[in-house]
Amino acid sequence: MTTGRTTIAAAKGAFLPRHVSQDQVVLAVTVVLVLFFSLFLTGFASTGNLLTLARNVSVLGILSLGMAIVVIARGLDLSQIVSMAVGPAFAMNLAGAGMPLGLALAAGLGLVVCLGVFNGLAIAFLEIPALFTTLASGFLAYGLARLTILNGFIAYVPPGHEGFVFLGQGAVFGVPMPIVIFAAVALLVHLLMSRTSIGRFIYAHGDSAAAASLSGIPVRPLTLLEYMLCAAIAFVAGLVAAASTSNVNTQVISSTLIFDVILVVVLGGISLSGGRGSVWSVVVGTALIGTLLNGMTIRNMDGTLQNIVKGLVLLAAILIDNRLHPRDEETARQGE
Amino acid sequence: MLKKTFRTLSMLALPLASGALLALGAQAQTADLAGGNSSAELKQLVTSKLKGKTVAWVPTTLGFPLTDMWTHVMKQEAEQMGVNLVVRDPAFNTTAQLDAVTALVASKPDVLIVHNFNVQLLAKQLKAAEDAGIYVIQVNMVSNYKTDAYVGADWEQIGRMVGEEVVASCGKGSGSSGKVAVIQGQLTSAASIEQLKGFTTAVAKDPSIKIVSSQAADWDATKANNLTTSVLQQHPDLCATFGFWGTMQDGAAQAVKAAGKVGKVKVYASGEGSRQDCNNVNSGLFHKFLNYNGPNQGRAIMQQASNLLQSGRKAGSARMAFYSTPSWITKDNFDPAVCFDVPKAKAK
Repeated sequence: MTTGRTTIAAAKGAFLPRHVSQDQVVLAVTVVLVLFFSLFLTGFASTGNLLTLARNVSVLGILSLGMAIVVIARGLDLSQIVSMAVGPAFAMNLAGAGMPLGLALAAGLGLVVCLGVFNGLAIAFLEIPALFTTLASGFLAYGLARLTILNGFIAYVPPGHEGFVFLGQGAVFGVPMPIVIFAAVALLVHLLMSRTSIGRFIYAHGDSAAAASLSGIPVRPLTLLEYMLCAAIAFVAGLVAAASTSNVNTQVISSTLIFDVILVVVLGGISLSGGRGSVWSVVVGTALIGTLLNGMTIRNMDGTLQNIVKGLVLLAAILIDNRLHPRDEETARQGE
Repeated sequence: MLKKTFRTLSMLALPLASGALLALGAQAQTADLAGGNSSAELKQLVTSKLKGKTVAWVPTTLGFPLTDMWTHVMKQEAEQMGVNLVVRDPAFNTTAQLDAVTALVASKPDVLIVHNFNVQLLAKQLKAAEDAGIYVIQVNMVSNYKTDAYVGADWEQIGRMVGEEVVASCGKGSGSSGKVAVIQGQLTSAASIEQLKGFTTAVAKDPSIKIVSSQAADWDATKANNLTTSVLQQHPDLCATFGFWGTMQDGAAQAVKAAGKVGKVKVYASGEGSRQDCNNVNSGLFHKFLNYNGPNQGRAIMQQASNLLQSGRKAGSARMAFYSTPSWITKDNFDPAVCFDVPKAKAK
């Protein structure tokens, strides 16, 4: 079983010094960028701006934590943004119709967990590759939701729920709530992945599903759990986003957000071939993307250029991933 | 010899043909009513021009208050006119819209109404529709290819009007920093391009106004929220922010609220006047809102369809535009009735 960090020593064709892991590379790049921006961008190096930077990528970070669980288990969840948008939108519609907020949120959470269960069932029992399952289930779930439970694309947080809006707009000791929630979810996922047997099982699943199964790990029920967790965490991310803008625009599912999530996950060193990486990978990946986005916004760089920069960074990350975790006969087999 | 005969024949044929055309034209003229006919006869004439005609409508998507309201009003008008309204919902997907329009052109409706994502996407299809004799009306976001009619906001005017307001409240002598942030929509949409042009031209007249940030949020409130949070961090003394659509600018307004700067940073937006726009003005989150009135646009769109069908003119023989009248909604003139709620019955 491979744990959090993989050292380059194990990889063939190494082009980096020994004992350097991808998250360390990303951290180093982030530190260099922060220093560069601090020197050359006025207004970058202030506590206020660094908090803003972190706040703006908190939702992305929370989503990436959910995706990390699935990717560590050598899966993928392209329906994650649907969970993030539809669950909270449904909850807000119910609350707007007069249902107590707690109950409405529980209903929203229940809905997305159902999507997770569906994904898990299709992948674990029907053995359909995760990529196709979640691509299809996302479209299916969103279409059904639009026809039945959603009234238009936009759901508004009903007035009078200041406590809920606090989740997105409030601050604790000057730290914006989205960051606090990101930190809390990160801590929980970290404890789950590194301190519980379920976490160890998930790593084992990603390393080799066959070996895990042979050693007595209930791989199929475990798959269900992974996708349920991913969907539930996406729901939390959706709530934070909803509270920040006091509305939910389910149109977000046709944005490039899902690629940003995969970018963060892969960037931090969670290999798409499974079994590697940790919560720390997500944190450094999020930090790098946050720094880049913030720097580009302060520079007032135009959108097309920003996309070019993001594309280049993703390519570089995949390149490093390939060099650190070269494909061999074992890891090349996907979707079993 | 033969050649000569041909030439003579063709020389004869031309006046003959035009004579026949003139006669036909005269006939068409006399088929219309004289001023003295009865109202029953007028109704009969109008019915004969509209009855059984097909009007096809392709928005960018249904599901937004703006597009749902248009569609709702258009259905009512279509029923009144006695025409058959066909709606295709591409669900905010450019490829789906292109496919829908291409298929519709092939099925030859009498009128095609489109809501362009951007200036280029449908340009070829609109030309093809016109060549096939279909009247084409464009709504609110015009294509590079202009057709029979455009119905919607005059975006340059909208941008200019907001720009003039911003100059008045942040410009010379206002005692403010003069710093302004602009939240654009999608960079390639006519609504975004022209609002930016009108706005920048208007604020350029006052050198004390500085546009400190001008970025695209792709009509998305979350992006507007993040951008505005960053801008407020860099420029705590920001005087105003202008977003090109109320639904998107909602996100910017929430960022201003979260920073505790409601009233200090003036939030401007333009839009169709949905319920949330009015709520935002009423709660003080929007300083001023420039309303181009979605329901009225819905009516104007169908009036143009009716007009074109009744005129009997050739498709593409005119280039007309009907610009919506913008009006300011502020806390002082606030009246909840100005804004609309999308009727509960879903647009189908």
